[in-house]
Amino acid sequence: MNVFYGVDLGSRYVKVAIDEPGGYRFLGPYDTAEFYRTYVEPAPGGGVLRRESLGLEEEPALAATGYGRARLGGGAVMVPELEAIVEGVKALTGLAEAVILDVGGQDSKVMLMRDGRMADFAANDRCAASSGKFMENMSAALGMSLQEMGEHYRDPVELSSTCAIFGESELVGLMGEGYELDRLAAGVNQAILRRLLPLLSRFDVRTLVLTGGVAYNAALRGLLGERLGLEPAVPEPPDFVAAVGCCSLARRKGE
Amino acid sequence: MGGVSKVFFRSWFGNVLRRYYRYVMSRIGITTTVPIEVIYAAGHVPVDLNNVFVSHPDHQELVEEAELAGFPRSFCAWIKGIYGTVKRTCDLAAVVAVTQGDCSNTQALMETLQSEGVEVIPFAYPYERDYELLSMQMDIFMRRLGVEREAADEAMRRLDRVRRKAHRIDKLTWDEGMVSGFENHLYLVSCSDMEGDPDSFEAKLDSFLAEVKTRAQEGAFRPAVDMVRLGYLGVPPIAPGLYDYLESLGARVIYNETQRQFSLPFGTRDMVEKYRLYSYPYSIFYRLEDIKREAKRRCLAGLVHYVQSFCFRQVEDIILRKSLEIPILTVELDHNVRLDARTRMRLENFVSMLRGRADG
Repeated sequence: MNVFYGVDLGSRYVKVAIDEPGGYRFLGPYDTAEFYRTYVEPAPGGGVLRRESLGLEEEPALAATGYGRARLGGGAVMVPELEAIVEGVKALTGLAEAVILDVGGQDSKVMLMRDGRMADFAANDRCAASSGKFMENMSAALGMSLQEMGEHYRDPVELSSTCAIFGESELVGLMGEGYELDRLAAGVNQAILRRLLPLLSRFDVRTLVLTGGVAYNAALRGLLGERLGLEPAVPEPPDFVAAVGCCSLARRKGE
Repeated sequence: MGGVSKVFFRSWFGNVLRRYYRYVMSRIGITTTVPIEVIYAAGHVPVDLNNVFVSHPDHQELVEEAELAGFPRSFCAWIKGIYGTVKRTCDLAAVVAVTQGDCSNTQALMETLQSEGVEVIPFAYPYERDYELLSMQMDIFMRRLGVEREAADEAMRRLDRVRRKAHRIDKLTWDEGMVSGFENHLYLVSCSDMEGDPDSFEAKLDSFLAEVKTRAQEGAFRPAVDMVRLGYLGVPPIAPGLYDYLESLGARVIYNETQRQFSLPFGTRDMVEKYRLYSYPYSIFYRLEDIKREAKRRCLAGLVHYVQSFCFRQVEDIILRKSLEIPILTVELDHNVRLDARTRMRLENFVSMLRGRADG
């Protein structure tokens, strides 16, 4: 059977990719806690995916990645996360040489892809600053959707904190001082950019691929492009890249 | 008794006991490697407070004790843990404070302890590794403990016999692949105080060396062949589980930079020179010479640089990365003894990347 499944059990969302003869099909994103409750059968030594509840067949090989992949100990091929992202970028863009920036739910990573393989990587420090979680907190504080927040980049209000917790208090304070919400949203995007640049500075960026849910943020894409003097490539859909990479690795194991 | 009054009672009682023990017993706390020859020659027992803290079953409580006393949450967990350890260890006669060659946080810790009635003995490593200055420091240290140079030299000869056995364990780790990264860490890190008893520590090393031979013959140990060869840089980890996790990924730490330094792996019989060759308290550039030499000798595929949250050594990461051509993964931990998912993700990807390089 020429079908392969890839599951990315991220810190915030679970994404499922199906590699089938007609191309890729995607399920989710599902809220992580909800996914564990609904689709994972607890079992000793990990858990087992309830394939039928997701409409998946029993036979195809399945590979899993992400923070929660140990929850699928039963029968899944386990893939290190960054390897899955590199494979996914390769499968979705056809690129073999690039710097990949993945901004996920609780951390940000930069991978150097050379000759289709990961040659080096850098990850952010311990806290979840400037990750998807930071954006979520900020959008809740501003009462703005993530999509709307991604539209603002002009005339940003300077935010000193990129901490997911302190940043929120600072934002609330600035709202109280009367700053416009659009400018504050632009400030949030600027703050994320400032935190990502030191990670990127270790690499000679000629081609930049942006992956993870934060890649939907148009303002951040624009700011990164402006700062680096290039147009970042965004695989479609950016948050399913690791799941697609898992399909490739499941296929490789299967063949 | 309420929480606060319990703390007060313990502190008061601790001080009374400490005054008593100062004249009767003589356990002396150390916060980093200092010339323990002098402490042993004086008839005292050195106690590495880091080791007591990290192996304490309630080490989280020790950190909390420091926070209750006012240490900030955003402060080095080792310092807080040592503070809690000193407060709980009532039989310490004094604590040696390294005022140069360690961090300014240690200095603040010592001042706090001093203000709470703990006797503090200062010791300074000169930044430029000047022989005369270090010799002078040793003289002051010996005078303070009432020790003659000859007695310290004799103690050194005794300790060096034990250290040579630790060096044998280190060689068995990298040259023959017969010792795990954690075992290497444990025996080398313990050289800082020889567990307060060189004789029983030596017996422990002897028995481990015998076990290494037996288990190799019985095939009961996975040799390092085919494993990714790693080096570990920085202060010893607050979460020693890191070693076993790396082994589960098929990688082995065969070079523990600082722990190896604690075993003073130098041939010299001159005590001052020995502590001048010891790299940890001196500049990062001197440490780099050792790291480069050992990375080459031990054919390391990658380095894990451990940095403690809120530690100035995080900045040294910049120089390490600039100066070394070998792949480096920086791992930062605060005071979680279990490895968190984010750290595991980084280690796993690092090992997988190094293996990919070796295959490719």
